[in-house]
Amino acid sequence: MTMKQAFRKTLALGALALAVSASPLLAQESVATLRSGTPLAENASPPPIAPVKNTDLRQVRNYPEQPPLIPHKIDGYQIDLNANQCLTCHSRTAVEISQAPMVSITHFMSRDNQFLASVTPRRYFCNQCHVPQGVTKDLVENGFVDIDQVLEYVSGQEGN
Amino acid sequence: MALTRRDMIKAQAVAAAAAAAGLPLPASAQNLVTDASLTDLKWSKAPCRFCGTGCSIMVATKAGRVVASHGDAEAPVNRGLNCVKGYFLSKIMYGKDRLTQPLLRKTDGVYDKEGEFTPVSWDEAFDIMAEKWKKALAEKGPKGIGMFGSGQWTVWEGYAASKLMKAGFRSNNIDPNARHCMASAVGGFMRTFGIDEPMGCYDDFENADAFVLWGSNMAEMHPILWTRIADRRFSHPGTQVAVLSTFKHRSFDLADIPAIFTPQTDMVLLNAIANYIIQNGAVNEDFVSKHVNFRKGVTDIGYGLRDDHPLQQAAANPNSGGSDPMSFEEFAEFVSEYTLEKAEEMSGVPVATIEKIAKLYADPNVKVMSLWTMGANQHTRGVWTNNMLYNLHLLTGKISTPGNSPFSLTGQPSACGTAREVGTFSHRLPADMVVVNPEHRAYAEKIWKLPEGTVPDWNGAHAVVQNRKLKDGDINAYWVQVNNNMQAAPNMMEEGLPGYRNPDNFIVVSDAYPTVTCEAADLILPTAMWVEKEGAYGNAERRTQFWHQLVDAPGESKSDMWQLVEFSKRFTTEEVWPAEILDANPEYKGKTLFDVLFANGQVDAFPLEETSDEYANHEAEDFGFYIQKGLFEEYAAFGRGKAHDLAPFETYHETRGLRWPVIDGKETKWRFKEGSDPYVTPGSDFEFYGKPDGKAVIFALPYEPPAEVPDEEYPFWLSTGRVLEHWHSGSMTQRVPELHKAVPDALCYMHPDDAKALGLRRGSAVKVSSRRGEIHTRVETRGRNKPPKGLIFVPWFDARQLINKVTLDATDPLSKQTDFKKCAVKIEALGA
Amino acid sequence: MFGFLRRTWGVIKRPSVHYSLGALTMGGFLMGIVFWGGFNTALEVTNTEAFCTSCHEMSDNVFEELKPTIHYSNRSGVRATCPDCHVPHEWTNKIARKIQASKEVWGKLFGTINTREKFLEHRLRLAQNEWSRLEANDSLECRNCHSSESMDITRQSPRASEAHERFLFTGEKTCINCHKGIAHELPNLGEAALINGH
Repeated sequence: MTMKQAFRKTLALGALALAVSASPLLAQESVATLRSGTPLAENASPPPIAPVKNTDLRQVRNYPEQPPLIPHKIDGYQIDLNANQCLTCHSRTAVEISQAPMVSITHFMSRDNQFLASVTPRRYFCNQCHVPQGVTKDLVENGFVDIDQVLEYVSGQEGN
Repeated sequence: MALTRRDMIKAQAVAAAAAAAGLPLPASAQNLVTDASLTDLKWSKAPCRFCGTGCSIMVATKAGRVVASHGDAEAPVNRGLNCVKGYFLSKIMYGKDRLTQPLLRKTDGVYDKEGEFTPVSWDEAFDIMAEKWKKALAEKGPKGIGMFGSGQWTVWEGYAASKLMKAGFRSNNIDPNARHCMASAVGGFMRTFGIDEPMGCYDDFENADAFVLWGSNMAEMHPILWTRIADRRFSHPGTQVAVLSTFKHRSFDLADIPAIFTPQTDMVLLNAIANYIIQNGAVNEDFVSKHVNFRKGVTDIGYGLRDDHPLQQAAANPNSGGSDPMSFEEFAEFVSEYTLEKAEEMSGVPVATIEKIAKLYADPNVKVMSLWTMGANQHTRGVWTNNMLYNLHLLTGKISTPGNSPFSLTGQPSACGTAREVGTFSHRLPADMVVVNPEHRAYAEKIWKLPEGTVPDWNGAHAVVQNRKLKDGDINAYWVQVNNNMQAAPNMMEEGLPGYRNPDNFIVVSDAYPTVTCEAADLILPTAMWVEKEGAYGNAERRTQFWHQLVDAPGESKSDMWQLVEFSKRFTTEEVWPAEILDANPEYKGKTLFDVLFANGQVDAFPLEETSDEYANHEAEDFGFYIQKGLFEEYAAFGRGKAHDLAPFETYHETRGLRWPVIDGKETKWRFKEGSDPYVTPGSDFEFYGKPDGKAVIFALPYEPPAEVPDEEYPFWLSTGRVLEHWHSGSMTQRVPELHKAVPDALCYMHPDDAKALGLRRGSAVKVSSRRGEIHTRVETRGRNKPPKGLIFVPWFDARQLINKVTLDATDPLSKQTDFKKCAVKIEALGA
Repeated sequence: MFGFLRRTWGVIKRPSVHYSLGALTMGGFLMGIVFWGGFNTALEVTNTEAFCTSCHEMSDNVFEELKPTIHYSNRSGVRATCPDCHVPHEWTNKIARKIQASKEVWGKLFGTINTREKFLEHRLRLAQNEWSRLEANDSLECRNCHSSESMDITRQSPRASEAHERFLFTGEKTCINCHKGIAHELPNLGEAALINGH
């Protein structure tokens, strides 16, 4: 198959896909997806406060660089000048007892990329990057495609 | 057919769209993929899409999709870190409800204000827009149209918009949403220093001995800067952090000196500390005598409400920013009534605590960094509060040197770079120039190669006034880009919504997602976002950062800049300029606005060949020249030699940004200080060259009460604000499932005793209402924000709970920025 | 004064003339009940949350911190009050603790922790006192409610059930070893905080 043919094929496939993903919207009265049809001047009944997922089951990361989500409750966990309760289980020396994942090695690196003797204070406030998850539905589906799917597709293309 | 590099990029993008549409999923068990041609990702830099910190992000693309992102280890701002939002940037463009076609309200195939949103072509969209613009211009002149832009515009988008409005349509009715966010900071800078933006930079974080937060919850709103403060505080024992706020929030977790004050009394505390500095002989007399003037500000200036509002009519000097010179002794006398005891009485902060904070400023051996954002800016005396913050640093000479830094933080990625530096405000031109100054207008007209008198001499309508004018039917054709102002602007029920839905008005909203503002519009334009276009942002420390287009926008989406420039082709000079100008300058006759504004030999000076071979650039391809470079270079001409020097265009694609003024390829870290700022006259040590005599101003300003205070009927203070996991109105972050699940809903944060007294408990459904509107939400007594009794906090990110139905559109009379932190509300159980 | 005492002692020493032995014994018994009851009632009054939080030192600091925790507000509404955790339930230990508490009265009178700053200064020592007391009595006050026998670990999160199986049931650790800072904020633990949390 020549490059030109390959390109045409890709284009055709792509056009088909585009037609699906960007199908013409039908005429609609309301568009603000997040409000699920509640007119702007009105107020929907507020959803109950969602419970926090507490299964301790780790979730797949969207990509390796993503900070892992917290699979348990952190109600009242103190992270302040006095103490960091996350490190009670996740510090290097605590994991033998806690069997929790140890803070990643990147967390020992200073601003100048030097490894320190302990966790860098720039990473002290864990919940700036790591967050627990409420048990609630997505407001809108997200079409992010996992790299493995993209690779599968790319290698499939090359095989044709 | 020879495939060019660009064709390949396009092909890959299309392929990825196919992947997204749900082709077969990979098997659950598979071997490690090791083939380098597959596993190699293309990593490119881009500044973060969210706040004003300006973190640099590494973005990975494969087959036309963003597949990963992480903090840029090489970037001086964030050194490899991101906050949780930043780590999820890869997903912000992929919400399934991305807009892909223009949508026009129609009934039976024709435009109808009350019709249903119907897909139309770009041609049809621009046709109806041009028709409505021409009608409004014909009926009301340039004041009949308006535009509301953003500190999220790229530098060239803001520049193109400003030029199209001010020079093309000859209307200064253009304002950015930065008006809600930074206008008081700008007012403070201009009044005290005569030049905008911080003198210091982020390097101050690694040099300061003390940090004082005056109305900023940096732990949530500027998390990466907070990591730098935490780093300094923990790794250099003796470093102190003071946090002042009207309620307890996450930043208090690092506070050595916590202080909760009664709303509006930050002004009392600031004057009390100034008084303490004077009373304790801590004034840096040498610095003050050489580099400072004292002035007494005009008082009783009103609350930026409609002119017929009783509070406006009661003011003796509404909207006056005037001042008279005074001596140091007179200033000392002025603040002498603000004793620590009086400050405690008014603010509720104990004398001992105020004294501890005052000592940080008074001790000559403590390098102190003051930081503030919306607590000080969204304030009916925001400009004053900014002035009073500078007073403390000027009295002690703690300024413009490493670690001594009054630092105004910004909330948007290019509030500085675009809204402020480009001058997209209704009163501004690039490089700190203003429209009411004839010399400034002439300078702009010269750079723009336009006839004398093109730029109008009147201050345009600012954010809050635009909504009022829409409601009153004074502005009839209105374009909103890159922001969600129906959700963000105050007093939605009385001003915003009736304004947009006024039958006389035609409202156009450009956005990537169908926001609340889109719903209130008549025409929606699908818009490319972030790395779907080539862009430039400027962060809070004067750092300009560029990025390339990394992926294609979905469907027919186009960038804001493309929309603006394309729209300019629909107008001829005869249609929009008066005959006097054209008769005097006949060479402009018969041309389109595109011809005179963008094909002027400058903006179109750089050929397509100069664009990167590695990256696509759809706008440049569409217009046939490197339009981003042309717009940037024309814009940069305004600031070069005027202390706003930018580096050559290409430099920014290679660096992790540079802090202006960039002179001889070198950035400037500390302005106004000899040795670090080349603009300072040798031998002067410090020079505040924004002022004609090189001296900064210390202002004597009193405490004045807020516009609305709790009373019997509405007994609670309401403060609104953001949360860490969502950015602004949540239009991007609420579409990332992980961020949505982290903070699913807005809540009414209140003191447990207040809840108990009202018969409420955590989770109770309540109505929060003011004299203007109401929302329905739930009570949170155990959350991250812990208000004192008598105050509630409700975040504004939630499209389902629009707290700005409740807020008051009182503004600072000088900056015109709304006070979103103070109004009076009541709380009632729902369904009770 | 001395004369009065001597006269009183004389009266007490002398055998009763007017009352029978039975009546006297009965009266003594009744008075005993009254006094003993009064003592116990008073003791119980000091053993209430209302009494503990009547001092601002307690209500502004530790009690305010208790409110957002699970020991104050939770799913079933069963909650712990101050004495549940801080006063032994068994009588002799309770009296011993109450005698110790006289030191706290002293502290109250002399304002040892009458400001937030002073409280924070002493907080580490105060917390350590309680931690060592609970360590020494095998977390007795925790176990008054949380008996390991009644604990159904299949109803706990996997993380909690595993930890209890490994450390609690084997007796390797006692409750307080892992559950510090659950009802009140932790004191400043210094450098250790950065390395290990606490």
